[in-house]
Amino acid sequence: MALLMASMTAEEVGDRWGTADREREFYPVVQVPIPKDLVIEAGAFEQLPDGRIAIGTRRGDIFFVSGIDDERPEPKYEIFATGLDEIFGLSWKDNALYVTHSAELTKVSDTDEDGRADLFEVISDAWGYANYHEYAFGSKFDQEGNLYVALGLSASYHSRALFRGWGFKITPEGKSIPIASGMRSPGGIGFNKDGAVFYIESQGPWNSSCSLKFVKEGGFMGHPASYNWYEYAPNLKEPVNPESGSSILVEKEKVAELVPYAVIFPYIRMGRSITGFVLDKTKGKFGPFKDQIFLGDYTQSLIMRATTEQVNGVWQGACYPFREELSTGILNVQFTPEGRLLAGGTNRGWPVRGLKPFALERLEWSGKMPFEIREVTITPKGFKLEFTKEVEANSAGDPTNFLVKTFTHKYHQGYGGPEINQTEPAVKSVKVANDGMSVLIELEALKKGHVHEFDLGALRSSDGGELLHRHAYYTVNEVPKK
Amino acid sequence: MRFLSKAVLLSLINGGILMAAPVIPGLNGNHPLDKAKTGHLLIEELRCAACHEVPVATTMKSAPDLSEAGSRLDLDYLKRYLVDPHAVNPGTTMPDVLGGLPYAEKAKVSEAISHYLMSLTSEEAQVETPAGDAKLGHEIFYEVGCISCHVPESKDSQRAESLAHIGGKYQQGALAKFLLDPLKVRPSGRMPNMNLSSSEASALEAFLGGSSGKSGKLDAELVTAGKENFKKYNCVACHTMGNAGAAKGPKLQNIDLKKGCFTGKGANYQLSDDQAKVIALALEKPVSFSDEARVEMKLTQLNCIACHTRDDFGGVVEEIDEFFHTTEEALGDAARIPPPLTKIGGKLKPEWLNKVLYDGLSVRPYMKTRMPQFGRRALEGLPEVLAKVDKLPQVDLPPPNRQEQPMVRNGGHLLLGTEGLNCISCHNYNGKESPGMKGYDLILTYQRLQSGWFYEFMKNPAKHRPGIIMPNYWPDGKAVQTEIMGGDTHEQLRSLWHQFSLGRSARDPKGLQSKPNKLEVNDKVRIYRGRSRVAGFRGLAVGFPGGLNYAFNLENGSLSAIWKGEYLTANWRSQGAGDFNPSERPIQLAQDVAFLRPKDSGLKWPLKPVMTKENPVNPDPLYPKNLGYAFRGYALGKNGNPTLRYLCGEIAIEDRFEVKSEKVLSRRFKFDAKQEDVLHFRALTGQIVGESDRVFKAADLRLTLGSGVETILRSIGDDGEQELLMKIPLGPKKNTYSIDYEILR
Repeated sequence: MALLMASMTAEEVGDRWGTADREREFYPVVQVPIPKDLVIEAGAFEQLPDGRIAIGTRRGDIFFVSGIDDERPEPKYEIFATGLDEIFGLSWKDNALYVTHSAELTKVSDTDEDGRADLFEVISDAWGYANYHEYAFGSKFDQEGNLYVALGLSASYHSRALFRGWGFKITPEGKSIPIASGMRSPGGIGFNKDGAVFYIESQGPWNSSCSLKFVKEGGFMGHPASYNWYEYAPNLKEPVNPESGSSILVEKEKVAELVPYAVIFPYIRMGRSITGFVLDKTKGKFGPFKDQIFLGDYTQSLIMRATTEQVNGVWQGACYPFREELSTGILNVQFTPEGRLLAGGTNRGWPVRGLKPFALERLEWSGKMPFEIREVTITPKGFKLEFTKEVEANSAGDPTNFLVKTFTHKYHQGYGGPEINQTEPAVKSVKVANDGMSVLIELEALKKGHVHEFDLGALRSSDGGELLHRHAYYTVNEVPKK
Repeated sequence: MRFLSKAVLLSLINGGILMAAPVIPGLNGNHPLDKAKTGHLLIEELRCAACHEVPVATTMKSAPDLSEAGSRLDLDYLKRYLVDPHAVNPGTTMPDVLGGLPYAEKAKVSEAISHYLMSLTSEEAQVETPAGDAKLGHEIFYEVGCISCHVPESKDSQRAESLAHIGGKYQQGALAKFLLDPLKVRPSGRMPNMNLSSSEASALEAFLGGSSGKSGKLDAELVTAGKENFKKYNCVACHTMGNAGAAKGPKLQNIDLKKGCFTGKGANYQLSDDQAKVIALALEKPVSFSDEARVEMKLTQLNCIACHTRDDFGGVVEEIDEFFHTTEEALGDAARIPPPLTKIGGKLKPEWLNKVLYDGLSVRPYMKTRMPQFGRRALEGLPEVLAKVDKLPQVDLPPPNRQEQPMVRNGGHLLLGTEGLNCISCHNYNGKESPGMKGYDLILTYQRLQSGWFYEFMKNPAKHRPGIIMPNYWPDGKAVQTEIMGGDTHEQLRSLWHQFSLGRSARDPKGLQSKPNKLEVNDKVRIYRGRSRVAGFRGLAVGFPGGLNYAFNLENGSLSAIWKGEYLTANWRSQGAGDFNPSERPIQLAQDVAFLRPKDSGLKWPLKPVMTKENPVNPDPLYPKNLGYAFRGYALGKNGNPTLRYLCGEIAIEDRFEVKSEKVLSRRFKFDAKQEDVLHFRALTGQIVGESDRVFKAADLRLTLGSGVETILRSIGDDGEQELLMKIPLGPKKNTYSIDYEILR
């Protein structure tokens, strides 16, 4: 109860990016109306084979919704199932929905085909559930038919019920295999374009910022509270304890299982409690960000992008601002058949910038090309910066127009943590590609374990435009040899 | 400031046909423009500069994009219209460009151009929409605001554009499609987007469309000829078509408007005398526009002033006042008539103004009239100019320091609530409805308003919105409420401002009711899952029609509560994730595992692990899976009644309840055993009275067991606690067994 009260006191949700007025031109937000008598606090989405969207809610209902893609949506909501508990995962397979909710992964089907679910079969309940904050997040199915579940800690600090803080793989045969410990308070789990499993972690103990993390089989995701269940996971060996106050760079050498944060989202500047994410498989319908990850943020009611790459066997990558000023706390996102991004959630329970108690909103690409940093990738001596529009040669040819700063965090058991050890490596050279769509920059030094923060506000596109978002943030775990 | 209120509307009789001068809706109400500015506005709206050099800089209204005309228009309509635009669509701003031709020639050219335009189609623009509901269309037309610029029938309105010509103009579905996104065809926003849903657009089409047009059969030669004529008669000057260049006419100053634009040679606009005069005036002495004048011009061009006042101009005219409605009548005109635009650029935060203008955001769900979307092109520069000319001094309302914080926060909380100014008696707050009138949700205040406006408005609402029912709580700057924040006006306003700035993080005002989430059972069995003190974290509650309910602890496989009466309330407040509470006092049963194999039941029934504050970690995390229990799910019958499925070791159990009578739930097990076997079932705990060898009672519950089982009643504590165990023999096929649970209250 004390925790509950504390959470309801006012908290700072951070300043806006201030880009909404310009974002609107490229990615307008369309309200998806919800009938007055329905409360839809969306926690999970799935696209059904017939084009309808399934929405799973915090209140445990599943709606099948048609018409979300209509120009002026007036969707039809059909209730498919009720009586589940805090749905944070929906995945369709074999004519059934696999629903990850608090205590179970449940296969929900409509055997008599009357439009209402009538069979609820437990696929996995390999974990304990004994505190309301012990949320369970489920992925979609991977190519092999596995589904992944990320389990939050007890009261977000402890691991009191079985396997709290663990990641599970549920195989097509229904086996539940614990694959990783060390999660704290996940907000979503899914895949990158290469099919690697990632989950999103919230800022807190052992996590100075929110981050996207690779769920490595046998890995330790950073928060040691969940070590107590290794005896129930005979397939895995308990890692040594990490040392609080050290750095991830040092500790990952000592704790072999420790997986470093792949993409750090600088706290407040890039979200405050990041939630569900989805891969852009719209083949360009949603604009120039093919195969990138789109993530919602609960507190700040916004959407961000992320990209990942594997360097020396370690995942890392970058995050980018995308669209702010949504109406409620975003819990999940999903692409529609027409390539629009559906976002939904609620502002119940924690501070949220968006003032609607719950909402469904649709982001769509207007067809106009925004000038954006499309992707940042690392090179042996710097970065390759790709853009969505041709850059203007003069501004892009000037190294002083590429401001790079770096910082890192402590890896410690304290709650969150400041950005420390800042550096400002000089940009030694820039090389604009012939087509003007990318620039190679060389830095005087790349800092391993640091977030590299780009400010390209001085850059112009060939038609004279400013970047819609001038910042990008790349987390360097490894530097490629060539 | 009423200029030209009637003059521009003079109709004239020409050859026995009623001919109207071009209608610019914004010029027909209480507009702010003087004669020269009116002339300038006409130059822009009539696109004079498309053909003529004019001595003033203009941002012209754009003509409809005809690149997909063939996908939406009717061939016959086009022919009729081009032969005589002013007769077919009285008030049109399109000139008759064929006026100089003899009638026969005119008809020929019109037909060719019509064929050409009808050849311009695209697959994407082709539509098939279901027919709409004309009656609904009628309602929408008068309700959402169409009436502000249009009259639906061929009424000789002096106020608005007639839509009498629409019947037969569009192909089936095309008008609805146009209405969904008018800016696509008419990007300058004079016909704005009204945020219609598809069914509303179809309904309007049904209401306005009359007999819908057809695409018609095209003649290839006419298409070719039409294309030439389209260029020859300079249609391309307004309706740009690829790279076709437009011819330029003489300087506008050098034209006798009476001759060209009026009588029929060249482009005939059917200008009225007064229109011709004011255009001449604007040409004589080009108008220079101050920022305020630019605002006035724009508000008139877009006819914002049909619904809004600004300073002393604009506003809803008497003739259409009756069509402005609200669902909150008690809130008065402020809930029905769109708000004044006086100082609007100082009232709304720029981001919010943009949301209203570009995202169609509305904070007044009760107001039936909709704020149209005019589009980026029409509004270019307007928000910035408004911000500049309407700038109000900002008031410094600093957030409290650490010391002040509790007091200031409490002050805002109290002022809004029932013990303060009771703002929530007329305003919703934080998505929760006011118990009284449902005025706009106050939690939006900080995101919407600038501090200067907030401060001044609050100190005298009626000054800024005459007729508003909101009382003045600080008359003459003195606080009516004298106890909160020391009765200090500035501090009270500051604490309110701070409360609003916290948004969702602030405490709800005192007295704001959040409805308990009461779930009710109607004609079908209802199930709900969530944690509950009566069923553990993995709880299931089942409610039957007629008022019997049970809860089941799915984690441990035990019937854990039974109650009679209403179903339950679910806690969907705060972070609370749907924990439930029976609506009536339940009979609580044990929540330990209920079925065991004989080898596990032993001398002492294994109880569920207990976590305490001191020892919060589950000491036996595999319980009761390590005793063979596994929950497998449930299947719902036709009436929604679940058959629970679980295992005890190898034995699959189906467990289903039915209502037997008003107070009796009958429970029926089916066992699927592979071989002869025995299961132990813990049927009841507590102070048990055996009424017969098959009837047992504990507190308010009586169990009647089916025959054929052996029972054991054994003591489990010093305080008289007992447990009733049953040994259920199973054969090598499906077995069934029943127990009745009777509620004795």
